[in-house]
Amino acid sequence: MGKIILDKMAMQRALTRITYEIVEKNKGVEDLVLIGIKTRGIFLANRIADRLQQLENVTIPVGELDITNYRDDIEHDSVSDDVKMSSNKIDFSVEGKRVILVDDVLYTGRTVRAALSAVMDLGRPKSINLAVLVDRGHRELPIRADFVGKNIPSSQKEKIKVYVSEIDDKDAVELIK
Amino acid sequence: MTQRYLILEDGSAYPGKAFGSLATTTGELVANSTMNGYQEIISNQIYHNQIIVFTQTSIGNTGLAQNAYESVLPTAKGVIVREYENLATDHFKRISLDRYLKQHRIPGIYDVDTRQIRRHLQEKGNMKASIVDVADEHAFDQLHATVLTNQQVAQVATPKPYPNPDEGANVIVVDFGLKSGILRELSKRDCNVTVVPWDSTSETILDLDPDGVVLSTGPGAPWNLPESVLSMIQKVQTQVPLFGIGLGHELFALANGAKITELRVEHHGSNHPIREIITNEIFFSGQEQGYAVDSKSINHAKLFITHVDLVNGTVQGLRHRDFPAFSVQFSPDGAPGPKDSVGLFDDFSEFMARRRDSNGENY
Amino acid sequence: MAKTIKKLLLLGGGPTNIGHENELDAAAYERLQAIKKTGAQVIYIDNNPFSFASESVQAADVYVQEVTFQNVVNIIEKEHPDAIMPKIGGLNAMQVAWQLEESDVLADNNIDMLGIRPVDLKRVLDNQRLRELLNEINEPIIASKIVPNDDEAMDFVRDVGFPVIVKPFSASHDTSRFICNNTDELEDALEISFERTYIKHVSIEQSIVGYKEIEMVGVRDENGNKILVSGLEDMDPIGIHSGDSIIFAPTQTLINQEYQALRTATFQIMDAINITGTCHVQFAQSRTDSNYYVTKVSPFFTRNALLAAKATGYPLSYVSTLLEMGVSLTEVKLPQKYSKYLPFMEPTMDHVVVRLPLWPFRDIPDVDQHLNTLMKSVGSTIGVGRTVEEAIMKAMHSSQFSPRDILPSVSKVDDDAVINQLIHPLASRVLILMEALRRGFSIDELSELTKIDRFYFYKMNQLLRAQDYVINNPLSPTAVEAAHEYGFGDGMLAELWNVNISTIERMNQNSNVKVTFKEIEPSAGEFREATNVFYSSYELENESVPCKGKTALIIGRGGNQLGPNAAADYYTAQILETTRRAGYKTIIMNTNPNAISLAPALSDKQYIEPIQLGNILNIVNLEQPDIIFLPGNRHYLSKKLKEFADLNIVVLPPDQKIAKFQQGTATTAVDLFIDGDRILPITTISFHTKSRRTELRYINDYQQPMNRWQTDERPLIKMAISKIDTANWQGLVQVLFDHDGSGNYTFTGIRPIRITESAFLNKTTGVNWIDALVKKYLHVLDIDQLSSFYQPGIHQRYSIMEAVFPFKELQSNRTDGASTQEVGAALSFKKIENPIES
Repeated sequence: MGKIILDKMAMQRALTRITYEIVEKNKGVEDLVLIGIKTRGIFLANRIADRLQQLENVTIPVGELDITNYRDDIEHDSVSDDVKMSSNKIDFSVEGKRVILVDDVLYTGRTVRAALSAVMDLGRPKSINLAVLVDRGHRELPIRADFVGKNIPSSQKEKIKVYVSEIDDKDAVELIK
Repeated sequence: MTQRYLILEDGSAYPGKAFGSLATTTGELVANSTMNGYQEIISNQIYHNQIIVFTQTSIGNTGLAQNAYESVLPTAKGVIVREYENLATDHFKRISLDRYLKQHRIPGIYDVDTRQIRRHLQEKGNMKASIVDVADEHAFDQLHATVLTNQQVAQVATPKPYPNPDEGANVIVVDFGLKSGILRELSKRDCNVTVVPWDSTSETILDLDPDGVVLSTGPGAPWNLPESVLSMIQKVQTQVPLFGIGLGHELFALANGAKITELRVEHHGSNHPIREIITNEIFFSGQEQGYAVDSKSINHAKLFITHVDLVNGTVQGLRHRDFPAFSVQFSPDGAPGPKDSVGLFDDFSEFMARRRDSNGENY
Repeated sequence: MAKTIKKLLLLGGGPTNIGHENELDAAAYERLQAIKKTGAQVIYIDNNPFSFASESVQAADVYVQEVTFQNVVNIIEKEHPDAIMPKIGGLNAMQVAWQLEESDVLADNNIDMLGIRPVDLKRVLDNQRLRELLNEINEPIIASKIVPNDDEAMDFVRDVGFPVIVKPFSASHDTSRFICNNTDELEDALEISFERTYIKHVSIEQSIVGYKEIEMVGVRDENGNKILVSGLEDMDPIGIHSGDSIIFAPTQTLINQEYQALRTATFQIMDAINITGTCHVQFAQSRTDSNYYVTKVSPFFTRNALLAAKATGYPLSYVSTLLEMGVSLTEVKLPQKYSKYLPFMEPTMDHVVVRLPLWPFRDIPDVDQHLNTLMKSVGSTIGVGRTVEEAIMKAMHSSQFSPRDILPSVSKVDDDAVINQLIHPLASRVLILMEALRRGFSIDELSELTKIDRFYFYKMNQLLRAQDYVINNPLSPTAVEAAHEYGFGDGMLAELWNVNISTIERMNQNSNVKVTFKEIEPSAGEFREATNVFYSSYELENESVPCKGKTALIIGRGGNQLGPNAAADYYTAQILETTRRAGYKTIIMNTNPNAISLAPALSDKQYIEPIQLGNILNIVNLEQPDIIFLPGNRHYLSKKLKEFADLNIVVLPPDQKIAKFQQGTATTAVDLFIDGDRILPITTISFHTKSRRTELRYINDYQQPMNRWQTDERPLIKMAISKIDTANWQGLVQVLFDHDGSGNYTFTGIRPIRITESAFLNKTTGVNWIDALVKKYLHVLDIDQLSSFYQPGIHQRYSIMEAVFPFKELQSNRTDGASTQEVGAALSFKKIENPIES
């Protein structure tokens, strides 16, 4: 049975905090681009972009990244090369940009590692930062987030499920035992 | 039933019946339109030097609850109500409003046309008033001659530091006339709190190794406090997360170059929608303000405006662009008023947690 | 973003009944004003003959049909609306909407459901899913379980503790519930319940009887912005249906922390179900600690949601409509009289509103009159005052069954009966509570016995003391002052002191404290709103400025009881509309919070004041109306008012006392409109009753035109006209006949057309006869315009209006009742297959 540990309000606040911290750390929004890691990272990246729009009245480009093929823990044989890049939607250059990668949950770090490779393949950004809604611990790689909505210490037996209203009918983070 | 009068600086007088203390007092007259929480309102130190008119008609119905005081020693100058009930009942082991006001030498008047006073104030603007036995020329002369102190903070804030220990983040609360709601919310988040006097220096504060600093609510105008308070804020905000509330918000604004204006009519209530700019959503909160940050004076390279009041347009929240330092004009602790924005204390906790995680290296 | 909607299907509230008066119609009326501004076409379905709202919809777009799944499907197939609005039609409409969703009708026809998404509607209406939802968002609900045997029942009680409520589990509406306080009671209850259930399961739940019942009403927009319109506090504890409880706004006995916890919970729930527009949530609040339980979530317009709106002055239905259509709270534009901030400012009150229920037991005495979890009241009145006492007193003397302005008391009841009624409350409970105080019961005892907060007993005690003071100090100025402070009307003083009311009026003129009128507006004096809704209080500042120009005062009916009340409310609304169109500023006075006649858009000014002589005179003195309309038969009031020679009073319909009967029966009637010496036939009517009785008081079902109209209508009309002496009969007049079954009609009497039937004529003939009647009295009637209306001889359909009785709701076995027992009516039409031949 799942229990909600971040409700709609708390989720919104977490994204708001992340937004302010992004501006704070980057001393503004110049050269900023957001890249959401599919699926829910994309929605979160868009929400951060909406907030930056409200706050600074600027439109920050948002890209969508599908890192399935960069994962080192997933069998690739079943995925054909056609599909490989097809679901990425990044219609801007990352060259010289300050890239903020956005994902819902930071766990082993393997997704992020794959995302880093994918972004590097696209060009040479000025910097890459990582923003995650939830950091649940249990890293298997030396990766840490620059912007964390909420640290949720969890056991490996538990599952963390993030819902976003764009596709899930609600906003919530659930801990499933 | 003793007849007494509320007399106003502009010469108007309102008869009513006495309750509470029979003292004769003078203060600024403010109307509060919050529907629940007369106890929190009367015991809030921000009403030092003020006479409170309640627009909600029925006051005293639930007595005073043990766990709902906002200060130990209330310093309001008077309470004006339409109807008051002298009840001391129920499971919260309450004492009655009458007894409470007598204990603290606060006079009350009931059976007054509070709606008329509210409308009058709205039309004429802020003014002084007295609670007197006889509404004669002499009383008005006295009222006009009375100069209200501008040393309210020094009179109500703690002169010495004191701790409120717990296991969590180390929070220093700078007391300008602190309301307990702030401490309650920090306690709920397990904060290890030390309350320090309003004139503490940045060195004193930083020597306590804080994870975060709260600038509390308090009475009066921010410009009555010395420059040294602003230097303290300017230093502290670069070192640790900072959260200013009410007077604390106004001081935070001043410390970062903004100006403060006095409102024509003080606003005390929880009926104005506050818009959070970043999400474009509205919410409600207890507001008790006589002053506001002048939005035109804000240096946008330094501060974000985070919240505005949609009715009177006043700035309700600020955030520093370079540091996790932020402030709100309203009272997110919900004592009294809606708790829609109580999550600001969670934000503050998170900022403190980040600083702890990174051993302060971001600063 | 606001949705673009071209065609909107609105589900109506249906006939009035217990649990639902005209409030849904009033809300629908307000709603239609809002929709008009958006330019959408409205298709309206409702079979309430006393609906006023349906008349502001194009006649061709109104379907006079019961709101059922099949009827709505048929309309959808014919009209192809883009969207459906179910929230104004009560629970029935919500359930129909659910069925439409379940059967894919909405999806197949590409129809948007407004106000709540179908997926969320399911989660609210299905009790089990609602429990799951509330669990998920950590909102407390009472523990309950279906158990197959005693052992599991005992396990359950070991977990939650006594008391518990046990009831047999079955599909039918079973009303036997047992409150068990100990193991013995539980064993007995289980034994009986297992015997009574078909499927050998018993429902057992934690009992919260005696908790405070608190209600919260909020609105939310698509973006999640929310405001709380008002909290309401039921004086009576959980265990008495909130519809039968005395209700206070604002809440009186909650401390800030408790209040805010419930507010936050309400918002959580509204977010969880993604509602747009209004939502009403009910809670049980513990008396001994801060715990609460969510007891009911109503994502639609309820009686009490609308009470919250009335109490605060917030235009709930108007705003909610726009929110449902996708407008955000900060962008709602209201009619000009309101401040632009109003839609998104949280209402704050500087007055007290008390709602007092009215029960039907005078007219239906042979039913169980105990108040419990089944609602029995048929109406209510509100009292508005600046103090709690004043508001209670005004609600009480608004609700008197007697037209006379006297203090209620129940001094004839013996002590044992008082105690018994304290524990097992009956209707008009407040009288027993006050009687108990009079007899010296202590407040602590009373609070213990009744679970009513001490606060209310203190307040009642104050009223009793004030009453004693007034009685013991006849004609003293200080007594007048005290009386006014506590809400005693001048008429009441006149009765108490046995003097003429003009004596009291003279005393008032010499007194320092005059009657003042305060506006009900949601900013508590912060803004100069112009809601134009007022109530009286004796204070310093009067805010009501007399209307300029020609003015008409319409005296509303007050709280609904059984009989023609819903119709009278419709009638009153028609008077308002006609009078206003004739160039008068209209002023309505009423105390029924559910009245359509109090809809804000219908009048220029509203007074929420007891319908009593003193209060009426206060308003008359201020407004100096050119004409006063008194709808309905109120002999005492009209007699008293007519003592004031300078008042221009029109009683409509004219007093039934002028009716002339040969005998008290009829089967058939001819309705006429008479203006001067012009006599226009309106129609013919056949009377029906379920029991085939022909005594007039049992006639509740009407059919237009009459039976055998093909042959008998013309001669009967002629006969009717011959009975009329225009010197005695004017306006809407009904000539009665008995039909012997073989073509012979005997004249049995003449009477003014009653309110119920006037409404029926409006709905069935296509001509607004009430409008014509009012115009006649305003001397602006163009009789020639009406004269060509009726052509007897060819009819395409029968219109049938059948009375609705509350017998089932009151658990009575009766099936047919007298007209004084009606609670509403249903309208239907039947096509005449061969209109030419018989």
